[in-house]
Amino acid sequence: MTFTLKIWRQNGPADKGRLVTYQVRDISPSMSFIEMLDVVNQQLTLKGEEPLAFEYDCREGICGSCSLVIDGVPHGPDRGTVCQLYMRRFPDGATITIEPWRAKAFPIIKDLVVDRSAFDRIMQAGGYISVNTGGAVDGNVLLIGKDQAETAMDAASCISCGACVAACKNASAMLFVAAKVSHLALLPQGQPERTKRAKAMVAAMDREGFGSCGNQYECEAVCPKSISVRFIAKLNREFLRATIEEPSPLAEQPADPHDESH
Amino acid sequence: MEPSGVQVKKAARFDSLPMIRFFGHILTSLGSKVLIALSGLGLAGFVVFHMLGNLQVFEGQDALNAYAAFLRDMPMALWSARVALLAIVGLHIGLSVRLAIQNRRARPAGYVVHHYRRASLASRTMALTGSLLVLFIVFHLVHLTAGWLDPEFHNRVDLRGQRDVFGNIVHAFQNPLLVAIYLAGQAVLGLHLSHALSSSLQTLGLEHPMLDRLFRGAGPLVALLVVVGNVAIILAIAFGLVHA
Repeated sequence: MTFTLKIWRQNGPADKGRLVTYQVRDISPSMSFIEMLDVVNQQLTLKGEEPLAFEYDCREGICGSCSLVIDGVPHGPDRGTVCQLYMRRFPDGATITIEPWRAKAFPIIKDLVVDRSAFDRIMQAGGYISVNTGGAVDGNVLLIGKDQAETAMDAASCISCGACVAACKNASAMLFVAAKVSHLALLPQGQPERTKRAKAMVAAMDREGFGSCGNQYECEAVCPKSISVRFIAKLNREFLRATIEEPSPLAEQPADPHDESH
Repeated sequence: MEPSGVQVKKAARFDSLPMIRFFGHILTSLGSKVLIALSGLGLAGFVVFHMLGNLQVFEGQDALNAYAAFLRDMPMALWSARVALLAIVGLHIGLSVRLAIQNRRARPAGYVVHHYRRASLASRTMALTGSLLVLFIVFHLVHLTAGWLDPEFHNRVDLRGQRDVFGNIVHAFQNPLLVAIYLAGQAVLGLHLSHALSSSLQTLGLEHPMLDRLFRGAGPLVALLVVVGNVAIILAIAFGLVHA
């Protein structure tokens, strides 16, 4: 198969970047999109040009590394990851445009690679639970209903790829944050930090410069793990609940004797 | 970079005031959206009752003029409602513009090629339809509430000595230009409402496996009812089915 590729090339964060056109020949229909880009890189290396920078890792759709906007849709025309997209999905001779995720919170490092550490910082703000150290707890000590566990697992299947941000008109991270908050709010282990978590993760999301949700549900349409936007409603509920259930001391707290301000 | 100890102390004390902390939550993107949703639902409620009240055109001159007189006979209630509506509109627009600016900033460089997969036309044009709606509402207030376009007609009274709202409306919608403006206004209102209502339910966290269809259908359905009701009045007069 033969393709005309229009690929975003950008030398570094400060570079302006532009689309560069490449021709590729002799592509097998069984190649994945990532393997096709490997062929492009071989050709570029042989010609002595700078190879494309793009991210991938597991090649089986579970790590969330691959992050390409293909013909204007994150992860391309199918609802899966780029590594699970095969060239037979495209007509022979097609022109394919390849761009990186675009969001202020995901600055471009080089070519098609963006910095997604904003997601890590949101997770650090509240995407954790407290556990006691010591011996491991016996299995099935904490009973969790099957449907509860399944719903939590639906949310937990988020692989943090960032396609939701890439697809959203407002570059909003709501589906990601919703999945993480819902996952932990649905399980007993997540209860101690439940109130704090919703507020902290929403605040972290705003701090990173993501936009707000316009309820267009483009995120759900591109999510390779089919995370439902119903989790966004759940996040909204969690946030409202946390705002109302502001934990405040019922008794006046004694002044801290070590406080320097008095 | 570590902030100095004094700054940390001040921030901590500031943050410990519950009211300040509460407004801090409201000014997050989610908090703003909740306020936009609530104010929007209030405005949508007004639009529905406005349409239902106006349908009294079909009961004839006496009924509509009596309804108008009934509203104007309660100046305190009328002006309280007007001030409240204005405040709600101000809050709705102010927070929306603030969020829209933040949203623009969230993607400084756009895609060369971008395809929507699911987003409805209405959801993609909320800022545009919202802005046009403001223009239409200002025009509507100038035209029919204040009566500046046709002051002579506006202050006429009917046989009972009540302001002749019915005559005023019938006169207005015999003008093709005004009919066109009001029909366009209804199209814009319908688009805005059809996304807005269902969207605000989602923002308020209303979601249920069995009720999702109801929630998602509520916006388009209410929008359709409002537009059909209002357009019926305009067209009935334009085609002479309702006349003075």
